[in-house]
Amino acid sequence: MRLATSAAICLFAALPVIATAQSAEDALEARHGYMKMLAINMGKLSAMAKGEMAYDEAAASTAAANIVALTQYDVPSLFIEGTAEGEAEGSEALPAIWENPDDFATKFTELADAAAGSPEAVMGGQDNIGPALQKLGGTCKACHDDYRKKD
Amino acid sequence: MSADQARRVRIWDPALRFFHWALAALVVTTWILGKFGPNVMTLHFWFGYAIIALLLFRLVWGLVGPRSARFASFVRGPAAVLGYVRHLGRREPSHWPGHNPLGALSVIAMLAALAWQVGTGLISDPDDFINVGPLADKVGGETAGDAVGWHHWGATAILILVLLHVAVILFYRVWKNEDLVGPMLTGWKWVRKR
Repeated sequence: MRLATSAAICLFAALPVIATAQSAEDALEARHGYMKMLAINMGKLSAMAKGEMAYDEAAASTAAANIVALTQYDVPSLFIEGTAEGEAEGSEALPAIWENPDDFATKFTELADAAAGSPEAVMGGQDNIGPALQKLGGTCKACHDDYRKKD
Repeated sequence: MSADQARRVRIWDPALRFFHWALAALVVTTWILGKFGPNVMTLHFWFGYAIIALLLFRLVWGLVGPRSARFASFVRGPAAVLGYVRHLGRREPSHWPGHNPLGALSVIAMLAALAWQVGTGLISDPDDFINVGPLADKVGGETAGDAVGWHHWGATAILILVLLHVAVILFYRVWKNEDLVGPMLTGWKWVRKR
Protein backbone atom coordinates (compact mmCIF):
# COMPACT_ATOMS: atom_id res chain seq x y z
CA MET A 1 0.00 0.00 0.00
CA ARG A 2 2.83 2.32 0.93
CA LEU A 3 4.56 1.36 -2.31
CA ALA A 4 1.42 2.08 -4.29
CA THR A 5 1.09 5.45 -2.59
CA SER A 6 4.72 6.33 -3.29
CA ALA A 7 4.30 5.27 -6.89
CA ALA A 8 1.18 7.37 -7.21
CA ILE A 9 2.91 10.38 -5.68
CA CYS A 10 5.87 9.97 -8.01
CA LEU A 11 3.58 9.66 -10.98
CA PHE A 12 1.62 12.79 -10.13
CA ALA A 13 4.76 14.67 -9.21
CA ALA A 14 6.17 13.80 -12.61
CA LEU A 15 3.05 14.78 -14.53
CA PRO A 16 3.61 18.53 -14.61
CA VAL A 17 7.16 17.92 -15.80
CA ILE A 18 5.88 15.80 -18.65
CA ALA A 19 3.19 18.35 -19.44
CA THR A 20 5.73 21.21 -19.45
CA ALA A 21 8.14 19.28 -21.62
CA GLN A 22 5.35 18.61 -24.04
CA SER A 23 4.26 22.22 -24.22
CA ALA A 24 7.85 23.48 -24.62
CA GLU A 25 8.12 21.23 -27.63
CA ASP A 26 4.76 22.48 -28.90
CA ALA A 27 5.76 26.11 -28.38
CA LEU A 28 9.00 25.62 -30.28
CA GLU A 29 7.25 23.85 -33.12
CA ALA A 30 4.61 26.55 -33.28
CA ARG A 31 7.27 29.30 -33.33
CA HIS A 32 9.16 27.64 -36.14
CA GLY A 33 5.93 27.12 -38.05
CA TYR A 34 5.02 30.75 -37.50
CA MET A 35 8.38 31.93 -38.82
CA LYS A 36 8.08 29.55 -41.76
CA MET A 37 4.69 31.01 -42.66
CA LEU A 38 6.15 34.51 -42.49
CA ALA A 39 9.09 33.36 -44.61
CA ILE A 40 6.90 31.79 -47.30
CA ASN A 41 4.96 35.00 -47.78
CA MET A 42 8.02 37.25 -47.48
CA GLY A 43 9.75 34.95 -49.97
CA LYS A 44 6.96 35.47 -52.51
CA LEU A 45 7.12 39.25 -52.16
CA SER A 46 10.91 39.17 -52.34
CA ALA A 47 10.92 36.96 -55.45
CA MET A 48 8.47 39.30 -57.18
CA ALA A 49 10.44 42.37 -56.13
CA LYS A 50 13.61 40.86 -57.60
CA GLY A 51 11.79 39.73 -60.75
CA GLU A 52 12.50 36.05 -60.05
CA MET A 53 8.75 35.52 -60.00
CA ALA A 54 6.35 37.25 -62.40
CA TYR A 55 4.46 40.07 -60.72
CA ASP A 56 0.94 39.01 -59.85
CA GLU A 57 -1.04 41.72 -58.11
CA ALA A 58 -3.50 39.34 -56.45
CA ALA A 59 -0.77 36.95 -55.29
CA ALA A 60 1.31 39.81 -53.90
CA SER A 61 -1.65 41.26 -52.07
CA THR A 62 -2.56 37.86 -50.66
CA ALA A 63 0.99 37.29 -49.44
CA ALA A 64 0.92 40.65 -47.67
CA ALA A 65 -2.55 39.93 -46.27
CA ASN A 66 -1.24 36.62 -44.91
CA ILE A 67 1.49 38.51 -43.11
CA VAL A 68 -1.09 40.94 -41.71
CA ALA A 69 -3.10 37.95 -40.47
CA LEU A 70 0.01 36.46 -38.85
CA THR A 71 0.68 39.69 -36.98
CA GLN A 72 -2.65 39.27 -35.21
CA TYR A 73 -1.25 36.25 -33.38
CA ASP A 74 0.12 36.71 -29.87
CA VAL A 75 3.61 35.42 -30.68
CA PRO A 76 5.39 36.31 -27.40
CA SER A 77 3.09 33.83 -25.60
CA LEU A 78 4.91 31.06 -27.48
CA PHE A 79 8.20 32.08 -25.90
CA ILE A 80 7.62 30.20 -22.67
CA GLU A 81 10.26 29.66 -19.99
CA GLY A 82 12.82 26.98 -20.73
CA THR A 83 12.77 27.36 -24.51
CA ALA A 84 15.85 29.53 -25.02
CA GLU A 85 18.75 28.28 -27.13
CA GLY A 86 20.71 25.75 -25.12
CA GLU A 87 17.59 24.85 -23.14
CA ALA A 88 15.49 23.44 -25.94
CA GLU A 89 16.70 21.42 -28.92
CA GLY A 90 16.71 23.49 -32.10
CA SER A 91 15.94 26.80 -30.39
CA GLU A 92 17.69 29.95 -31.61
CA ALA A 93 15.92 32.20 -29.12
CA LEU A 94 18.39 34.24 -27.08
CA PRO A 95 17.91 34.51 -23.28
CA ALA A 96 17.63 38.29 -23.84
CA ILE A 97 13.99 37.64 -24.82
CA TRP A 98 13.17 36.72 -21.23
CA GLU A 99 15.24 39.58 -19.86
CA ASN A 100 13.43 42.21 -21.98
CA PRO A 101 9.93 40.84 -22.53
CA ASP A 102 8.42 44.28 -23.16
CA ASP A 103 10.96 45.23 -25.81
CA PHE A 104 10.61 41.79 -27.38
CA ALA A 105 6.84 42.26 -27.61
CA THR A 106 7.41 45.69 -29.17
CA LYS A 107 9.31 44.02 -32.03
CA PHE A 108 6.12 42.19 -33.00
CA THR A 109 4.10 45.37 -32.70
CA GLU A 110 6.55 46.96 -35.14
CA LEU A 111 6.05 44.07 -37.53
CA ALA A 112 2.29 44.57 -37.25
CA ASP A 113 2.71 48.30 -37.93
CA ALA A 114 4.90 47.59 -40.96
CA ALA A 115 2.39 45.05 -42.27
CA ALA A 116 -0.60 47.34 -41.86
CA GLY A 117 -1.69 48.57 -45.27
CA SER A 118 0.81 46.38 -47.12
CA PRO A 119 -1.86 44.32 -48.98
CA GLU A 120 -2.89 47.57 -50.72
CA ALA A 121 0.65 48.98 -50.94
CA VAL A 122 1.94 46.06 -53.02
CA MET A 123 -0.80 46.45 -55.62
CA GLY A 124 -0.48 48.46 -58.81
CA GLY A 125 2.89 47.27 -60.07
CA GLN A 126 6.09 45.39 -59.30
CA ASP A 127 7.85 48.59 -58.21
CA ASN A 128 5.44 48.95 -55.30
CA ILE A 129 6.62 45.75 -53.63
CA GLY A 130 10.13 46.97 -52.77
CA PRO A 131 9.22 49.71 -50.31
CA ALA A 132 6.64 47.53 -48.53
CA LEU A 133 9.09 44.62 -48.38
CA GLN A 134 11.81 46.87 -46.95
CA LYS A 135 9.49 48.05 -44.20
CA LEU A 136 8.62 44.47 -43.31
CA GLY A 137 12.15 43.08 -43.63
CA GLY A 138 13.54 45.90 -41.50
CA THR A 139 11.44 44.71 -38.59
CA CYS A 140 12.62 41.11 -39.13
CA LYS A 141 16.22 42.33 -38.89
CA ALA A 142 15.61 44.54 -35.86
CA CYS A 143 14.31 41.57 -33.88
CA HIS A 144 16.84 39.01 -35.19
CA ASP A 145 19.71 41.38 -34.29
CA ASP A 146 18.77 41.44 -30.63
CA TYR A 147 16.95 38.21 -29.99
CA ARG A 148 18.10 35.51 -32.38
CA LYS A 149 21.26 33.46 -32.03
CA LYS A 150 23.94 34.36 -34.57
CA ASP A 151 25.72 30.96 -34.61
CA MET B 1 72.28 54.77 -35.37
CA SER B 2 72.14 58.56 -35.37
CA ALA B 3 69.24 60.47 -36.84
CA ASP B 4 71.48 62.65 -39.01
CA GLN B 5 71.87 59.76 -41.42
CA ALA B 6 68.15 59.91 -42.11
CA ARG B 7 66.90 61.64 -45.24
CA ARG B 8 63.48 62.61 -46.44
CA VAL B 9 62.20 60.21 -49.09
CA ARG B 10 58.96 59.89 -51.02
CA ILE B 11 57.92 56.53 -49.58
CA TRP B 12 54.18 56.28 -50.28
CA ASP B 13 52.90 56.83 -53.81
CA PRO B 14 49.67 58.83 -54.41
CA ALA B 15 47.58 55.77 -55.33
CA LEU B 16 48.58 53.98 -52.15
CA ARG B 17 47.78 57.03 -50.04
CA PHE B 18 44.39 57.39 -51.69
CA PHE B 19 43.81 53.69 -51.08
CA HIS B 20 44.72 54.04 -47.41
CA TRP B 21 42.46 56.99 -46.59
CA ALA B 22 39.57 55.80 -48.76
CA LEU B 23 39.75 52.40 -47.06
CA ALA B 24 39.92 53.97 -43.59
CA ALA B 25 36.88 56.16 -44.27
CA LEU B 26 34.88 53.35 -45.89
CA VAL B 27 35.69 50.75 -43.23
CA VAL B 28 34.72 53.08 -40.38
CA THR B 29 31.52 54.21 -42.11
CA THR B 30 30.51 50.71 -43.19
CA TRP B 31 31.22 49.32 -39.74
CA ILE B 32 29.09 51.98 -38.04
CA LEU B 33 26.31 51.52 -40.60
CA GLY B 34 26.41 47.78 -39.96
CA LYS B 35 26.07 48.14 -36.21
CA PHE B 36 23.93 51.23 -35.85
CA GLY B 37 22.67 52.07 -39.34
CA PRO B 38 19.19 51.69 -40.79
CA ASN B 39 17.61 48.24 -40.94
CA VAL B 40 17.52 48.55 -44.72
CA MET B 41 21.26 48.24 -45.29
CA THR B 42 21.55 49.57 -48.85
CA LEU B 43 24.43 51.94 -48.03
CA HIS B 44 26.28 49.28 -46.04
CA PHE B 45 26.10 47.07 -49.14
CA TRP B 46 27.35 49.75 -51.57
CA PHE B 47 30.22 50.77 -49.30
CA GLY B 48 31.07 47.09 -48.96
CA TYR B 49 31.33 46.80 -52.75
CA ALA B 50 33.59 49.86 -52.80
CA ILE B 51 35.80 48.15 -50.21
CA ILE B 52 36.03 45.09 -52.49
CA ALA B 53 37.29 47.36 -55.28
CA LEU B 54 39.91 48.89 -52.95
CA LEU B 55 41.05 45.46 -51.76
CA LEU B 56 41.44 44.29 -55.35
CA PHE B 57 43.49 47.40 -56.12
CA ARG B 58 45.72 46.71 -53.10
CA LEU B 59 46.25 43.13 -54.19
CA VAL B 60 47.35 44.27 -57.66
CA TRP B 61 49.44 47.11 -56.22
CA GLY B 62 51.09 44.66 -53.82
CA LEU B 63 52.32 42.72 -56.84
CA VAL B 64 53.15 45.38 -59.41
CA GLY B 65 53.17 48.68 -57.48
CA PRO B 66 56.17 50.73 -56.31
CA ARG B 67 58.69 49.00 -54.08
CA SER B 68 57.29 50.08 -50.69
CA ALA B 69 53.81 48.87 -51.72
CA ARG B 70 54.92 45.41 -52.85
CA PHE B 71 54.20 42.46 -50.53
CA ALA B 72 57.47 40.83 -51.54
CA SER B 73 59.41 43.84 -50.28
CA PHE B 74 57.83 44.15 -46.83
CA VAL B 75 56.50 40.74 -45.76
CA ARG B 76 59.39 39.16 -43.90
CA GLY B 77 60.10 36.01 -41.89
CA PRO B 78 59.99 35.48 -38.10
CA ALA B 79 63.69 36.37 -37.70
CA ALA B 80 63.21 39.83 -39.23
CA VAL B 81 60.07 40.38 -37.13
CA LEU B 82 61.88 39.40 -33.92
CA GLY B 83 64.83 41.55 -34.89
CA TYR B 84 62.53 44.54 -35.28
CA VAL B 85 60.60 43.83 -32.07
CA ARG B 86 63.87 43.73 -30.11
CA HIS B 87 64.41 47.44 -30.84
CA LEU B 88 60.76 48.48 -30.71
CA GLY B 89 60.94 49.86 -27.16
CA ARG B 90 63.74 52.33 -27.96
CA ARG B 91 62.75 55.95 -27.57
CA GLU B 92 63.86 56.93 -31.05
CA PRO B 93 62.23 57.00 -34.47
CA SER B 94 62.50 53.80 -36.50
CA HIS B 95 63.19 55.71 -39.73
CA TRP B 96 62.00 52.57 -41.43
CA PRO B 97 61.51 52.96 -45.19
CA GLY B 98 57.96 51.61 -45.56
CA HIS B 99 56.15 48.87 -43.67
CA ASN B 100 58.45 47.42 -41.01
CA PRO B 101 58.48 43.62 -40.51
CA LEU B 102 56.08 43.80 -37.54
CA GLY B 103 53.79 46.32 -39.23
CA ALA B 104 53.71 44.02 -42.25
CA LEU B 105 51.92 41.44 -40.10
CA SER B 106 49.35 44.09 -39.20
CA VAL B 107 48.88 44.98 -42.90
CA ILE B 108 48.33 41.33 -43.79
CA ALA B 109 46.00 40.80 -40.81
CA MET B 110 43.88 43.82 -41.76
CA LEU B 111 43.69 42.88 -45.43
CA ALA B 112 42.83 39.28 -44.50
CA ALA B 113 40.15 40.40 -42.01
CA LEU B 114 38.60 42.70 -44.62
CA ALA B 115 38.71 39.96 -47.27
CA TRP B 116 36.98 37.66 -44.78
CA GLN B 117 34.45 40.38 -44.05
CA VAL B 118 33.49 41.11 -47.66
CA GLY B 119 33.44 37.37 -48.40
CA THR B 120 31.08 36.51 -45.54
CA GLY B 121 29.00 39.61 -46.28
CA LEU B 122 28.45 38.60 -49.90
CA ILE B 123 27.10 35.18 -48.88
CA SER B 124 25.11 36.23 -45.78
CA ASP B 125 21.39 35.58 -45.53
CA PRO B 126 20.04 37.08 -42.29
CA ASP B 127 16.50 35.81 -42.95
CA ASP B 128 15.01 39.26 -43.35
CA PHE B 129 14.45 39.11 -47.13
CA ILE B 130 15.99 42.53 -47.69
CA ASN B 131 19.62 42.44 -46.54
CA VAL B 132 20.58 39.27 -48.37
CA GLY B 133 24.09 39.07 -49.80
CA PRO B 134 24.12 38.86 -53.61
CA LEU B 135 25.89 35.47 -53.53
CA ALA B 136 23.85 33.96 -50.65
CA ASP B 137 21.82 31.74 -52.97
CA LYS B 138 25.04 30.24 -54.37
CA VAL B 139 26.18 28.68 -51.09
CA GLY B 140 23.04 27.07 -49.68
CA GLY B 141 20.76 28.15 -46.87
CA GLU B 142 22.72 26.73 -43.95
CA THR B 143 26.05 28.29 -44.94
CA ALA B 144 24.31 31.57 -45.78
CA GLY B 145 22.75 31.62 -42.30
CA ASP B 146 26.04 30.75 -40.58
CA ALA B 147 27.81 33.44 -42.61
CA VAL B 148 25.83 36.07 -40.70
CA GLY B 149 27.53 34.89 -37.50
CA TRP B 150 30.94 34.81 -39.22
CA HIS B 151 30.31 38.36 -40.46
CA HIS B 152 29.70 39.48 -36.87
CA TRP B 153 32.96 37.89 -35.65
CA GLY B 154 34.70 39.64 -38.54
CA ALA B 155 33.34 42.99 -37.39
CA THR B 156 34.81 42.39 -33.93
CA ALA B 157 38.16 41.36 -35.40
CA ILE B 158 38.24 44.51 -37.56
CA LEU B 159 37.42 46.71 -34.58
CA ILE B 160 40.31 45.18 -32.62
CA LEU B 161 42.76 45.53 -35.53
CA VAL B 162 41.77 49.16 -36.19
CA LEU B 163 42.11 50.09 -32.51
CA LEU B 164 45.49 48.35 -32.41
CA HIS B 165 46.54 50.23 -35.56
CA VAL B 166 45.63 53.60 -34.04
CA ALA B 167 47.21 52.70 -30.68
CA VAL B 168 50.49 51.75 -32.34
CA ILE B 169 50.56 54.99 -34.35
CA LEU B 170 50.08 56.89 -31.07
CA PHE B 171 52.86 54.80 -29.52
CA TYR B 172 55.23 55.81 -32.33
CA ARG B 173 54.16 59.45 -32.00
CA VAL B 174 54.45 59.68 -28.21
CA TRP B 175 57.06 57.10 -27.26
CA LYS B 176 59.29 56.97 -30.34
CA ASN B 177 58.73 60.57 -31.47
CA GLU B 178 57.98 59.43 -35.01
CA ASP B 179 55.10 60.78 -37.08
CA LEU B 180 53.53 58.07 -39.24
CA VAL B 181 50.39 60.01 -40.18
CA GLY B 182 52.18 62.83 -42.01
CA PRO B 183 53.99 60.47 -44.40
CA MET B 184 50.70 58.75 -45.23
CA LEU B 185 49.28 62.18 -46.11
CA THR B 186 52.23 63.66 -48.01
CA GLY B 187 54.11 60.55 -49.05
CA TRP B 188 57.38 61.93 -47.60
CA LYS B 189 59.05 60.18 -44.66
CA TRP B 190 62.37 60.46 -42.85
CA VAL B 191 64.10 57.17 -43.49
CA ARG B 192 67.50 55.68 -43.03
CA LYS B 193 69.24 53.31 -45.40
CA ARG B 194 69.59 49.76 -44.13
